[in-house]
Amino acid sequence: MRESPSFFAFPMMLSLHAIGMGLAAGVNGALAMRLLGAARAIPVPELKRFFPAMWFGFWINALSGVALFIAYPTKALTNPVFYLKLALIAVAIGLSRATTRRVFAADAAPDPAPHVRRLAVLSLICWTSAITAGRLLAYTYTHILAGT
Amino acid sequence: MTGIHAFQMKLVKAFASFTSVGASMHTHWGWPAAETVHFIGLSLLLGTLVLWDLRLLGVGKRIPVAAAHQMIRWTLAGFAVTAVSGVSFLMAEPTEYIYNSAFHFKMLFIAIAGVNAAVFYLTIGRRTLARGTDQDTSLPAKIFAVISLSMWIGVIVSGRLLTFYRPGWCGTDIPEIVATCVPQKRP
Repeated sequence: MRESPSFFAFPMMLSLHAIGMGLAAGVNGALAMRLLGAARAIPVPELKRFFPAMWFGFWINALSGVALFIAYPTKALTNPVFYLKLALIAVAIGLSRATTRRVFAADAAPDPAPHVRRLAVLSLICWTSAITAGRLLAYTYTHILAGT
Repeated sequence: MTGIHAFQMKLVKAFASFTSVGASMHTHWGWPAAETVHFIGLSLLLGTLVLWDLRLLGVGKRIPVAAAHQMIRWTLAGFAVTAVSGVSFLMAEPTEYIYNSAFHFKMLFIAIAGVNAAVFYLTIGRRTLARGTDQDTSLPAKIFAVISLSMWIGVIVSGRLLTFYRPGWCGTDIPEIVATCVPQKRP
């Protein structure tokens, strides 16, 4: 893909990755902020209707991420920040599932319990850290390609 | 030299005058930090905006439109975060953006999104915000939502493409040389 005859292959994967990031991190962030008191008039369980958009963003990023990885595998694999980013995303998705299981349930309390608020804070920390790690990948690599 | 070139040169001069911002952006972690803030702001902007626009399009109809609209202040907060970090890029390397066609498109899409939102509030905004639980919005409201989402996706794509359309380094003699900015090799 790096040397794709299409000039747009690599830039388009980067664009998709940014859109997917906005959807995955953004919708999870909006849920977390609602649980922490933003937009109180929104009934929390109804936010589940927007989670297909969140997962759509997540899968766009899984696929575009694999494409970007294939273009520069050595660059990613030799950078500890890459593993940190994947770990942060794994934790963030785990937190997302733990949170939605609690607040989207039919018998969920209308006001989020303190432990749900803690999940929301952790979720915001994980997503912003994952974005930070992702952005720093462009600055922290030591090898672009094998042998370089 | 008239018209657009004079305007561009004026912009370059204005942004370049914030030399201390430019200097801090050119420190080791200045640029990556601003980019990170820009991406976090993007996520805040898009994540809260899709809730609003998708509600207009009929997703999550149990949510009263006015309730979904409470998220818009966070969309604006996200926009403020991206605007501040975005302007710091311009202050650091004005010619890289003022003479960059991807940047022109990005600004165009933001302007259209802004006009779209303004026209929405000036026309059907009040009526649409009155739609409650399980009430659908009008066709014009859905068209506003589609334009909004398309423009912001356009903003993200042109923002990401921007780096591939950089005019290159235009020499130290800004702003004189930039009117006919010819990319040069950095010394």
